[in-house]
Amino acid sequence: MRSSHRLALLFLLPSLIFVGLFALYPIFESFRLSFYRLILNLPWLGQKMVGWENYVDLWTDPVAAESLRTTLFFVVTTIPLELALGLGMALVMNEAFRGRGLLRAIVLIPWAIPTVVSSQMWRFVFNDRYGLFNFVLFGGDASRYLAPLADPTLAPMAIIVAEVWKTAPFVALILLAGLQTIPDELYEAASIDGATAWQKFRHVTLPLIRPALLLALLFRTIDALRVFDLVFVMTQGGPADATNVLSFYGYKKIFAEGMVGYGSAIAVGVFLVSLILSLAYLRVLKANRLEGTSR
Amino acid sequence: MVYVRKFFRSIALLFLLAPGYSPAAETTLRFVTWKSETAQMWDQPIADFEKQNPGVKIIREIGPQSSTQLHDLITQKLKNRDTEMDVFVMDVIWPAEFASAGWALPLDRFFALAEQKQFLDAPIQANRYRGQVFGVPLFVDAGLLYYRKDLLEKYRMSPPRTWPELVEEAKTILAREKDPQLVGFSGQFKQYEGLICNMMEYILSNGGNLWDDQHLVSTLNRPRALEAVRFVRDRIIGQIAHRGVLAYEEPESLVLFTEGKAVFHRNWPYAWNVANDPQRSKIAGKVGMMPLPFFPGGKGVAALGGWQLAISRFSKKSELAWRFVAFMASHAMQKRVTLSTGRAPARAALYSDREVLDQLPQLKSLWEIFKQAVPRPTTPVYVPLSNIMQRYFSSVLALPHTNVDKRAALAARDMDRVLDLVREAPAP
Amino acid sequence: MKRAAILGIFSVGIGVYCLLPYLWFALTSWKSPAELTAIPPKLIPSFHWDFYRSALEERGLLRYIANSIIVAGAATCITVAIGSVAAYALARFQLPWTRAYLLLLLAISMFPQIAIAGPVWNLLNHLDWLNTYRGVVAAYIALSLPLATWILTTFFHEVPHEIEEAALIDGCSRFQAFYKIVLPISAPGIFTAALLVFINAWNEFFFALIVLTDPNLQTLPVGIALFPGEYTMPWGEIAAASTLATLPLILLTLLFQRGIVRGLAAGAVKG
Repeated sequence: MRSSHRLALLFLLPSLIFVGLFALYPIFESFRLSFYRLILNLPWLGQKMVGWENYVDLWTDPVAAESLRTTLFFVVTTIPLELALGLGMALVMNEAFRGRGLLRAIVLIPWAIPTVVSSQMWRFVFNDRYGLFNFVLFGGDASRYLAPLADPTLAPMAIIVAEVWKTAPFVALILLAGLQTIPDELYEAASIDGATAWQKFRHVTLPLIRPALLLALLFRTIDALRVFDLVFVMTQGGPADATNVLSFYGYKKIFAEGMVGYGSAIAVGVFLVSLILSLAYLRVLKANRLEGTSR
Repeated sequence: MVYVRKFFRSIALLFLLAPGYSPAAETTLRFVTWKSETAQMWDQPIADFEKQNPGVKIIREIGPQSSTQLHDLITQKLKNRDTEMDVFVMDVIWPAEFASAGWALPLDRFFALAEQKQFLDAPIQANRYRGQVFGVPLFVDAGLLYYRKDLLEKYRMSPPRTWPELVEEAKTILAREKDPQLVGFSGQFKQYEGLICNMMEYILSNGGNLWDDQHLVSTLNRPRALEAVRFVRDRIIGQIAHRGVLAYEEPESLVLFTEGKAVFHRNWPYAWNVANDPQRSKIAGKVGMMPLPFFPGGKGVAALGGWQLAISRFSKKSELAWRFVAFMASHAMQKRVTLSTGRAPARAALYSDREVLDQLPQLKSLWEIFKQAVPRPTTPVYVPLSNIMQRYFSSVLALPHTNVDKRAALAARDMDRVLDLVREAPAP
Repeated sequence: MKRAAILGIFSVGIGVYCLLPYLWFALTSWKSPAELTAIPPKLIPSFHWDFYRSALEERGLLRYIANSIIVAGAATCITVAIGSVAAYALARFQLPWTRAYLLLLLAISMFPQIAIAGPVWNLLNHLDWLNTYRGVVAAYIALSLPLATWILTTFFHEVPHEIEEAALIDGCSRFQAFYKIVLPISAPGIFTAALLVFINAWNEFFFALIVLTDPNLQTLPVGIALFPGEYTMPWGEIAAASTLATLPLILLTLLFQRGIVRGLAAGAVKG
């Protein structure tokens, strides 16, 4: 047994090196820094170990609280939209019809475009004078044009639209894979029993794609909590901090203001929220798995 | 399968053997700056320097265009004591921060006071920190007011001297022109650094200030500052300027003006060339330019912008680096770059140079404006303070029903906490 | 046929959803400079190629694309190679800490990249790997290994043991069994993992921005992000560059879409 374990370690060695060096070490470093007060442009203050002070400050920081609210709002809005749209797209793509291949390729396009490119694109679309958004809504009547990126209520919506546009296809792919594993016999049996399309969906499709749904949910939540590129390009956190998500706030603290200790604490905060949500999902997933196997 | 293996192997090989950046055997100098629209800004002068100094090669590293992003990149290198960077550009708000952090080399032994006097005063002040100088100014920028000469003439108005006058003139023109797409004013009010430039022009021209440098306290919640901010919120945003300006940086606000849809426009000197270029502007030839208005009882204030060259404290070739910096800032080089790119130089003498004025007559008016340009207060903690102020300005402008006094008090409290950090700053 | 009609409508709807913003941007790239920011916006451009010429000649777009291909390609190949070997070990060797390791990988991917960017930059600096392909690729490998390992482990779990065991009894080494038997069977899974890693690396912006400051090495997202001038926003060039940059990806997805879906599906086969 031990020799096979040694062989296994050999197989795992390259992974462990990369993950250890370029992922674990930076993360531990981040953790460590969050316990220090380190302000880069004030070096005379030195690097003082301040224990939990950064976390206490974070807890009482109104900007951070607002930022957490913004981030959670973002997650709570984008995930259901992505899942719904993704499921819809997957259901259509699952049907056999001519041109299905072309449709699948088209669906991948939003996901394949670099986020930096798509954020510029959406910024252009939402422009208040010559953007597509206004043109579609109001035609040539420029006096009624809206300025989504200038309005604290609309700006988060613009970011959400840009994000969902890009990630719904990714969810659609995962769900499509799940759909493809459902054997046709089950649908046929249901048809023989006289089930309608809706009933087939509720009692055959939904239960059997639950694993795929939860997988998509897990990965998308983790990514949504860390959204950064879109905000960076489209709004830089504004207007009035309406799109100041945690990742962006942390970025400003670390890179712009040089407050490395505090910014690291923010990053750890994001990590903790992710962890809590993921553990919750996994618990549901495990419960489901058990349900599935016991049937 | 064989092909797959071969493919894998070749990619791996390509990547392992592909060059990273290995400097050549000659002496190299690394220079970090933003990419310019024309080759005459950096490439040409660099080529000239290399010709005059055989054996020296300048490697130019390109950073992001946005000042904030460039700042983050350069500070990343400096905080890690990167010896691979020798010369870099600084935005006018960085010298204090870089000086206090020990990142920029004090240049006093190279850059004598007598020589400093050859440059415009305001940029030099922005480059000084606690009695030493840390950068050499290259280009100068200051906020200006642009206006539609034709519209003002049509309604027999003279260019406004105060902000209330500007608002009245804009309102009258809008009412009479009956063009639903025309707006009175276009400026930069997005939540970014440019917002500070715009707002400080209102606050300071009303006799207020952003913070008191002597006592290190915020002055945003003092009456004059509050008055100016209220004016912008109630009389400008949503009144003569549409709310879209809250997402505008320079490009979008300028487009509104050059498309002929704005009567007044606040921007930097570069906009003059764009607005008068028939290829890019519908109002070429109909544009006027003047110093920014002020509030009654105050005086006009233009926010100072511009770029300077600095030498990294961790560079191992400071003598050579200084030779390059001096070359770029020399009279001959500044004149050449000014003539070919139209950017306003930092050397005072060029503003009375026949040749330069012939080609760029607007420099004569800019001279007056530059003399009254005010730098943003110099302090090592400028960025955190700026972020707090951006948050405050953007909130009260974008959310018209917020309580200005309360927000100002909160912002002042946050600013005071940051300013406290620099109370015991030693000399660099 | 009602079914065909409904499917048709939905398909068109999905197509519009996916393509409209992108097409608008692409159409923009053919406008003349004056039409670009016309208020109100013009729908059909007069076909000017100025922006393309400018993006290619003056901005070095092709070099950015080449760099992106090299970096993303290398990251993908190495990640898949390392990841598949690791996943095989995790799936086959019944190690007691498999689940813990997978959860650790998941936890790693939860950390915001902005926080680890600083220490990673530091590390690359010490190794002298800044402004090199290997530096940024190393970072990408570490970022993509969690997802790749998860997907591949799931796949290998599903591959039946019999053929392998037969080969082992015949005297094959473990590695040979992996290389010659399991890998070919799991081609769809490998392919899926490769695609996901490639697209992640292709899109990655932040690390590339801080690690690659030499213009000869910069990747596409960084290149496009640097298009904006100090006070100018060259929408035309950005649109042209974006259109050109995404065309290869579109072609790739058109060619491989069947493989992609099959790959994603095969992983979950075992009802």
